[in-house]
Amino acid sequence: MMKKILVANRGEIALRIMRSIRKMGIQSVAVYSEADRNSPHVMYADEAVCLGEAASNQSYLNGDKIIAFCKTLHVDGIHPGYGFLSENAEFAQKVEDAGITFIGPSPAAMRIMGSKLAAKECVKQYNIPMVPGIDKAIDDVDLAIEIADKIGYPILIKASAGGGGKGMRVVDKAADMKEQMERAISEAIASFGDGSVFIEKYVTSPRHIEVQVLADKFGNVIHCFERECSIQRRHQKVVEETPSAIITPELREKICEAAVMVAKSCNYTSTGTVEFLMDDKFNFYFLEMNTRLQVEHTVTEMITGLDLVEEQIKIARGEKLGFEQKDLEINGHAIELRVCAEDPLNNFLPSIGTLIKYIRPVGEGVRVDDGYEQGMNIPIYYDPLIAKLVVHAATRREAIKKMLLAIKDYKIEGVATTLPFGSFVLEHDAFISGNFDTHFVKNYYTADKIIEKQKANAEIAALVALKLWMDAQKITIPVLHKTTSWKRRLA
Amino acid sequence: MTDTEKMYKVKANEFEFSFTQSDIAALDMVRQSATTFNIIHKNSSVNAMLLEADETTYKKMNIEVAGENFAITVKDELDMMLDQMGFGIVTHKHLKEIKAPMPGLVLEINVAEGQEVVAGQKLLILVAMKMENSIVIESDAVIKRIIVTAGQAVDKGQILFELE
Repeated sequence: MMKKILVANRGEIALRIMRSIRKMGIQSVAVYSEADRNSPHVMYADEAVCLGEAASNQSYLNGDKIIAFCKTLHVDGIHPGYGFLSENAEFAQKVEDAGITFIGPSPAAMRIMGSKLAAKECVKQYNIPMVPGIDKAIDDVDLAIEIADKIGYPILIKASAGGGGKGMRVVDKAADMKEQMERAISEAIASFGDGSVFIEKYVTSPRHIEVQVLADKFGNVIHCFERECSIQRRHQKVVEETPSAIITPELREKICEAAVMVAKSCNYTSTGTVEFLMDDKFNFYFLEMNTRLQVEHTVTEMITGLDLVEEQIKIARGEKLGFEQKDLEINGHAIELRVCAEDPLNNFLPSIGTLIKYIRPVGEGVRVDDGYEQGMNIPIYYDPLIAKLVVHAATRREAIKKMLLAIKDYKIEGVATTLPFGSFVLEHDAFISGNFDTHFVKNYYTADKIIEKQKANAEIAALVALKLWMDAQKITIPVLHKTTSWKRRLA
Repeated sequence: MTDTEKMYKVKANEFEFSFTQSDIAALDMVRQSATTFNIIHKNSSVNAMLLEADETTYKKMNIEVAGENFAITVKDELDMMLDQMGFGIVTHKHLKEIKAPMPGLVLEINVAEGQEVVAGQKLLILVAMKMENSIVIESDAVIKRIIVTAGQAVDKGQILFELE
């Protein structure tokens, strides 16, 4: 019924989706920008088409061009991945109108959940708790200041059409409001083409807990447990895990039940994620529903054994879910680290360059979803995500140990990455004990500890080098048995 | 340590260390193979690997310690002397500049040439990987020259502004 699927995305997620497509015996079509010709997703696909110049609005955001290619290539389904067009209801509608299956929820469900106001309105009848804020998105700076004064600082500015932390800013005091508001609007226009934002109370000591849901077109909605995504920098997740270290079975039942209700409220179909904020007293508030596959879906796959992309495709084909809620169990513990081209020693600023060395860790329960190979450039036009490093073990403690080893075995040179930050987090008492919130970075992180560790290793390397150099001065002792030239690897 | 003991400077990535001959004599290092070593340093047992070496001088090497790669430069007293002489020749220009802290695209420039700016004032906005970053000035100054234009891609460390 579905013979050929176009993946309207790039990088690791395009490749990951194509793997499931291939496994299901379906043909895959890649799209790419001029900057991505050499990307693994292009080489892996059965067919590939160039969308245009590197900038996203010239390529991956050009929905009409993508649909036109689908017609030429007789594509039956489009998988949007995450980001780009994945939560664009207008695009989903156009896809359906063109007689192509959009592998995701219905445009109607996307519209509801894509608008924070409609989403709140929709879930109200289910008594799902919500954070105080405004019901209407605004793009008026003066009005924003007025509203913020009423709600009380700190406040959070969120792009109406946003997600993934883009266009989201916390403002601590009135003096910063104007500048932050202007930046948030500008970012929202650049990223989503819509500059309106929401303002709400910023919950202090919040944890970010989200629930994966799966819903078919027959009204069956199930959850695949929670994910703890509190370790963030710049309001973007870096470390995610499941199950959460602090959630009891009773609380899990409550929050997962709420998530299922949210999905039901908008007649949701496909995979989706319901995000909650949880305060230090375990009160949870509905944040939003992400109507797509999430970056961190991998951890859920590891503990449930499901292939969420396969489930998405099956649902889109009109199949019934092949299992029920009671068939799902949490098996062990999974942790994901987003390996981003960012410098944790320099405020997580983008670090762009060439992957001079790129060696993945391997091992049982170690999964790497990535979209780069050694020698490739990291372009400045897109997300800084290089790879997702995921581990699975019987217990949380073992998963932490496994992740630390995997980070050590992951060799990336040429760009700075969040790998050393990952070690910092997983070695930190707050993370190990489970007693942390989304302010982890602000509260605990300094680059000093990473630099200290690097310096200790550097000192040993320097001592070894000096010893070797001294030995080399004594002609009688040959330092190396093989003659090798500079720049040729010895081992 | 005696007065006559030779000094060495070793650079490992961005770190620089000074060692004496006795530091090396005290080094507890076992060679496991031509390129692998075990070191006991401050009671820690650490493995190191020689990845690359400049075989003619052995002054440049790449050594891996605990999975991290360090580019090494060894300097003896003669090298240090040459360095010092070299530094003596360079005349430091007192031109002040604002450099890009990261690569990105210049979204907008918020100042004009000749403009007086105060500490904390926003000079331009740089976009990379979908994030907008305001570049602000740390002290009061006068913009002498604007080197970049809106829409331009810049590298990390590239000069954005010259200051009076």
